Amino acid sequence: MYMNTNTRILAPEFAFARPASLAEAFALMKEHGPGARLLAGGTDLLVQMKMERLRPELVISLSGVKELAGITDGDGLTIGAATTIWEISKSPEVGARVAALREACNAFSTVSIMFMGTLGGNLCNASPAADSAPALLVHDASVVIRSVRSERRVPLAEFFTGPGRTVLKPGEIVTAVTIPAPTAGTGSAFRKISRVVADISQVCAAVSLVREGGRVTACRIALGSVAPTPVRVARAEAALVGANGTAEAFAAAAEIVAADIRPISDVRASESYRRHVARTIVRDALQTAWQRAGEGVSK
Amino acid sequence: MTRQIVRFTLNGTPREFAVAANDLLLNVIREQEKLTGTKYGCGIGECGACTVHVDGRPVLSCLKLAVEAEGCEVVTIEGLAKGRELDPLQKSFLDNNAVQCGYCTPGMIMIGRTLLDENPNPTEEEVRTHMRGQLCRCTGYASIAKAVMGAGKCESREFRLPSE
Amino acid sequence: MLSTELKSVGDGSWRKDGLAKVTGSEKYAPDVSVDRMWHGRVLRSPHAHAKIVSVDTSAAEALGAVCLTYDDVPKMRYNERIVSTPPCLYRDRTVVADKARHVGEAVLAVAAPTEELAERALRAIKVEYAPMQVITTMEQALKDGADPIHDTVHLDGKDVPIRNNVAVQRTIDVGDVEKGFAEAELVFERTFRTSRIYHAQMEPKTVTCRPEIDGGITVWCSTQSIHNTRILLGQIYGLPLNKVNVVKVALGGAFGSSIQMNSVTPICVGLALKAGRPVKIASTREEDMHDHVRYPSQITLKLGVRKDGTLVAGEMRAEIDIGAHNIQAYPFLGGLGGFWASLYKLPNMKYLGRAIYSNKTPSCAMQGFGAPQAHFAVECLMDEIAHHLGLDPVEYKLRHYVGLGGTFWGQGPASKCIIRSDGVPELLHTGAEKIGWEKRPKPGSQTGRMRRGIGMARGFHTSGVGHAKASGAEMIDYSGAIVKLNEDGTIDLIQSLMDHGGGTNHAIAKIVADEIGVPGHMVGISPCDTRTSLYDVTTHATRGVYAGGAAALKAAKSVKAQILHWAARVLDVLPESLVIEPDQELGQGVVYCPNLAERRMTVGDVARYLHINSLGTISAAESMRQVNCPPAYVSYFVEVEVDTETGQIHTRRAALGSDCGTVVNPALASGQLVGGLSKGQGYALIEDNHWDPVTGELASKGFWVDGKTPSMTESPLADDIMTHFAHTHEPTGPFGAKGLGEAAKNPAIAAFANAVHNALGIRFYEVPITPEKVLAALAVQDAQARDTSPSREPAAPAPVAE
Repeated sequence: MYMNTNTRILAPEFAFARPASLAEAFALMKEHGPGARLLAGGTDLLVQMKMERLRPELVISLSGVKELAGITDGDGLTIGAATTIWEISKSPEVGARVAALREACNAFSTVSIMFMGTLGGNLCNASPAADSAPALLVHDASVVIRSVRSERRVPLAEFFTGPGRTVLKPGEIVTAVTIPAPTAGTGSAFRKISRVVADISQVCAAVSLVREGGRVTACRIALGSVAPTPVRVARAEAALVGANGTAEAFAAAAEIVAADIRPISDVRASESYRRHVARTIVRDALQTAWQRAGEGVSK
Repeated sequence: MTRQIVRFTLNGTPREFAVAANDLLLNVIREQEKLTGTKYGCGIGECGACTVHVDGRPVLSCLKLAVEAEGCEVVTIEGLAKGRELDPLQKSFLDNNAVQCGYCTPGMIMIGRTLLDENPNPTEEEVRTHMRGQLCRCTGYASIAKAVMGAGKCESREFRLPSE
Repeated sequence: MLSTELKSVGDGSWRKDGLAKVTGSEKYAPDVSVDRMWHGRVLRSPHAHAKIVSVDTSAAEALGAVCLTYDDVPKMRYNERIVSTPPCLYRDRTVVADKARHVGEAVLAVAAPTEELAERALRAIKVEYAPMQVITTMEQALKDGADPIHDTVHLDGKDVPIRNNVAVQRTIDVGDVEKGFAEAELVFERTFRTSRIYHAQMEPKTVTCRPEIDGGITVWCSTQSIHNTRILLGQIYGLPLNKVNVVKVALGGAFGSSIQMNSVTPICVGLALKAGRPVKIASTREEDMHDHVRYPSQITLKLGVRKDGTLVAGEMRAEIDIGAHNIQAYPFLGGLGGFWASLYKLPNMKYLGRAIYSNKTPSCAMQGFGAPQAHFAVECLMDEIAHHLGLDPVEYKLRHYVGLGGTFWGQGPASKCIIRSDGVPELLHTGAEKIGWEKRPKPGSQTGRMRRGIGMARGFHTSGVGHAKASGAEMIDYSGAIVKLNEDGTIDLIQSLMDHGGGTNHAIAKIVADEIGVPGHMVGISPCDTRTSLYDVTTHATRGVYAGGAAALKAAKSVKAQILHWAARVLDVLPESLVIEPDQELGQGVVYCPNLAERRMTVGDVARYLHINSLGTISAAESMRQVNCPPAYVSYFVEVEVDTETGQIHTRRAALGSDCGTVVNPALASGQLVGGLSKGQGYALIEDNHWDPVTGELASKGFWVDGKTPSMTESPLADDIMTHFAHTHEPTGPFGAKGLGEAAKNPAIAAFANAVHNALGIRFYEVPITPEKVLAALAVQDAQARDTSPSREPAAPAPVAE
């Protein structure tokens, strides 16, 4: 039902805390339970609060927890959860190994949102349209989840459980995203279609594939905005493994994607439109990923 | 709601404000400090009219809690000109007739400034990409793009107002 | 036309309000604050159609808030757009609603010391509604037995019953249509639809009202007319006008949405008067999106032509869904018909326009006011006829357009004039050459994924609504200006005419400077308010420079004559022997006698002489009404690129031409054209609004995330937008100028539709042309090519009768 919201202010009242360490953050979360929400960049949380979809009692800012930001390059990449989308988009390591993620970051709606928003925030907000998720999925990313007592790693493919929902338990914080070093001969790409460029996607897709000579030896295809969570399309992936990297093969895989996804109709696009353009962007992404795989290091 | 003190530098001057947790940086700037150049356009980050600089980075002040500006350097449109010396980008907007109703102008200049700080001679594609989040309903954007591209070619940051 | 006679008119100095705008110091209505001010919030109906059964404000009052309910406000019904004369004012508004007629309608309001407290007070109020039938389509509205949205409308002193939710209807008949159609050798008929888009002006409507100790009020608000706002507030609240002061503040865009007094303004005044203290109501974006949208249209156009394409008869039936209130449907319907009549020579025409209420956001004027809708129908159908006859649309249109010597209907049947300047051939030929019109593809001939096409449309807008009749007008149209000489030779221009971005005030200051003979910087635009300025009806109908400028010019002429009179006394020559010219080195106007070079003094010297000798202030206060409404012609050539796999349409290039007579400020004029293209692109390809058929709720909920408009990335590259001007001189305009503003957008949606047709061979009769519609149409075209779908409408429509 229509509600006269007031986006000029933040109408809900709440307490605010800015812990200086993870330990402090955990303590606050334990004390307040489900009434507490974590604040990173604020570009999702504050919007949802202004639209009156969320009313936390306590907002815990992570801006003081320094150990959550930064990209480290070891055996694979580790991206701190509080690293901004802008920083990720500019990282040479990300650009070199995870081209799809760099492209996805550059496809975030606006530059200011890229500066403010964080990877952890984007994933934990768990929108089915999250721009960063498909690229991470096709690179077998995992999230590092810490609680006061323990640390666990969850493959991103198991992280999302529904629109706005994840496997996070009370008292848990995502502290980093890890991306294993890609196999030699990997190329990846990301594509997004939206009503206007600065927009939430109507459909987005990321692909990664491993190329050996003229053959695809491994393939991952993930889409956003076509399901309750970001999803991979296994049947399309399987169709490409072992196939020659031809335009026909990519088109056929894209057909399978269009057939297998179950998008909904909403204010941004109809179900049939999503199905239709998913075909195009998956095919285009596969073509680009293939090319990049042939060039060795993705640009 | 209880108020707490937040301290940050605003246009070069250290300031402190009594704010509630749910006070937005935009409203502290506009209502407490009466710097009204930064605008409310939509409240949800869709239009860019509220853009300010926080520690040199563009921020949508309508989506930033005032308390999160603690210890930061905040610059608004009013902080760009130094006395009567316009920032080259401000001058370029005037030279290129990139101002009509002017409501989007502060946000455009603030985001344009962050591009030029990193890349003084951007291509048109770079300008378009960087400014995609700013809405304007009057100009059709061409003059604004030219203003941003043109500003980078200015040699000096020091401009006096021309005696007309 | 750039004349060598002009000095400052036509040059490119910084616009006078530019410095304030780039430094953030310009004040708009949302930036105003006064001491001891409280904040107001409006309680808005969640129901699209409902009786208001009861209201309980006790909890709000307990929080210390002041509440304004229907019981508190004057009960008079008014029409908020008093540009129309009283016999044409359809009055169905009250300050807050007696009944909720659309989601978001103002039911009551509260004021409290802070915005946060006002919010809490608002949410503490309980309102009981009795929901009624929700009407969201014209079919529902017109059906017998449908719940009347308004029982009556107050018109010319009487309560006139509303039947079948028809707010108003107008007919126009010229010649003999039946005879005309009988003579026609080909008849074409199509139905066109345009959408209820949102103005998306950057500034949400805001108002601050301070009650004064003498019972009067001072008001700062978003408005296109401070004087009309003043008159209405005086009428509603029974205040003498000399106690109602509306202050001019900068306007952050409007595009027609503030010709009427906005709904928050009288509410704020009511709150301030009740609270006995200043109150400010700042609309949120979501409130603003529920408050006003464009007039949509469903236009069935039938044109009969001879085999050579000469038009012999035309019939137009327009059905307009105006939403919950009749803001200006009567002039809209007249304007729509009149614009149709003015596009091409049509000896026999019949027009029926109907405005129908619905439980949706009320429609109000938006850039063009019926002209874009008329242009869409006519320019697309003419394009179709040209193609059918194998004629070049440009040549076809040039052969039959209404031009020099013809009759132009400025805004409906009540304001007509004979056309005295006409740059159309130049506009079209130049535009065609710039875009490469001859190289455009054959429609439907392309097979690749990306298909480019060029489309054109021509048209105009009026320059004001002036006409010759001394009485019986449908609209008020006059402007006033005060010009005075300061003691140092600078000049103050005091004019209530609003500039909503186009640079109108700046252009008029230049006209004043040039008339008097001083450099442009010597004329300052004074801040003003209704108590210190002459009446100006409003900035609409592209009348700013043509009409407002004419008033200022009249005052400037008087000031110049006075300067010459006094200078003659000092210089001991006859005033007729003197001229005034700007001297760039001195930075002043110099009065001198060409025949006696040593007899000279600056304008500043004259001013000082008058001051020291107590001879008075040179000034003039003049009102002026234009008796013409010349067409400001415009031409659009647009190139689009359609991605046939995604349906997305990209705007690649455009050649936009304007015939605005003398171009007072070329850079600003160019900017208007480019701005028009951007809004036109949005209107043609992207923007739309939907209301839920069951609840009547706005699908976007008023959040701009779902009200997308073009940004820089959707626009063509800067150099791919070319503008040109015709070299004409309008004899009735100040320095030969006509208008430009609305013309900048009027042919846009037709040009885009024609461009898409050129690219795909598919006609779209509805905007926005979204990717989904493109894909659906391509699928139909594809199926027809494979001959698998015989029951569908042909992709290349034929005339209905031969």
